Amino acid sequence: MTETYIHGIGMTRFGTLPEFTMKQLLLDACSEAIIDAGRPKIDAVFVGNFLGGSISNQEILGAIVANDLGLGYIPSAKVEGACASGGIALRQGILGILSGEYDTVLVAGVEKMKHATTANVTQGINAAMDTNSNEKHAGLTFPGFFGVLANRYFYETGATKEHLARVALKNRENGVNNPLAQFQKPTSLEEIMNARMITDPLGLFDCSPMTDGAAAVVLSRKKSPIHIRSTAQVSGPTQMQDAQNLLSIPAIGESGRIAYEKAGVGPEDIDVVEIHDCFSMTEIIAIEELGFFSRLEGWKAVEEGRTKVTGDKPVNTSGGLLSRGHPIGATGIAQIYQLVRQLRGNAANQVNNPRLALAQNLGGTGSYSTVHILERV
Amino acid sequence: MKTYQCCNNVSITKKYFCPECGGNEFVEKEVSDHGTVYSFTKIHIAPAEFAHIAPYNVVLVDLDEADCKVTTRISEDVSIGDNVTLDRVEDGAYIYQKL
Repeated sequence: MTETYIHGIGMTRFGTLPEFTMKQLLLDACSEAIIDAGRPKIDAVFVGNFLGGSISNQEILGAIVANDLGLGYIPSAKVEGACASGGIALRQGILGILSGEYDTVLVAGVEKMKHATTANVTQGINAAMDTNSNEKHAGLTFPGFFGVLANRYFYETGATKEHLARVALKNRENGVNNPLAQFQKPTSLEEIMNARMITDPLGLFDCSPMTDGAAAVVLSRKKSPIHIRSTAQVSGPTQMQDAQNLLSIPAIGESGRIAYEKAGVGPEDIDVVEIHDCFSMTEIIAIEELGFFSRLEGWKAVEEGRTKVTGDKPVNTSGGLLSRGHPIGATGIAQIYQLVRQLRGNAANQVNNPRLALAQNLGGTGSYSTVHILERV
Repeated sequence: MKTYQCCNNVSITKKYFCPECGGNEFVEKEVSDHGTVYSFTKIHIAPAEFAHIAPYNVVLVDLDEADCKVTTRISEDVSIGDNVTLDRVEDGAYIYQKL
């Protein structure tokens, strides 16, 4: 129990947004969250961001927020944890409140990616690998890691590319109803299966896109209807060749286990879930690691439609990274945005009267994972 | 291929402390380069530094004489279970080939 509450949320549209600078996206999301929270006094700012320095030549995002929003002479920082930057920033905000140092904290995430070439963004993202390793020198990429994982998963379970496609299709169906999602155009299993290959067996629809966007939340020790019941973060192996079991991402499982323990709940108690589907394969591993389904059987749950909005464990009602989009540093906060709306009862793809919600945010090839459990009180 | 073992943990990369037991006494052992394909992918969309060789196969090889794996690159297409061995080391990468 963190006794930390969410008071406000804000999020820009996700997608290709050439008319906005990274700073504008960040400030738009932050100001929306502050207004939603009723303009409280902010004691500190944490910003999740990964590529600002490398492809936009822009750092000091914390100070920019404090200054341009007139928050005064308060502490601020950028938090980097690859694709988990947003989730880790959120956790730093919660810890700041738990420590007693702050009453109210603004946490945001932002990324601006669409102005750069795919090769340069891929190169920038590869900074989240152990760059001084034989693995990096072999030419492994992030999609590559999940491609290797998927081929082994198929070999051991009997799952096929169609199961990956069903994840992508489900998340697209959810994205169609989310006005902030990057991809709102319906698709078909056939189109997904026949899309061009990125890294065998992952095709275009199996991979999260490059995205511009930002999201923000205001946290406080003062009560609100949304309680952050627990926060957890762990680190995991930074190289594929060091995985004890390639079909397990222990950072996800362990962060989930700690979050459940701290919250005093189990996977069966969770009503709605946002997880880090950077690739369709990752969603299947994550629903297993988080205990929603048995190990090596997540693909069956997908086949049975159990993770759809209408299923018993709705996953990624926002469209997930695959369809909502994946502005790297913003993703962990965008997950919270969707879950708060679910708990408030006004979400895209609203599920029936949820009380407990779980967000899981992943960085690197399992290098970082955060889990947050939210509760409507 | 050189491996580093501490307790039950074997790796081709040397750590400062063992991720399993925290110990720092590693036994270095030279083992055969031979292995079997554990899994693989063919990378079509590559980062800028590898774009000129795409598509290429990145292959996770299970070493025959050690309980550990090594990430390699192989020019030929492979399947899980294929026997492979080291061809050369190039720019810090292990380039393997089918046997």
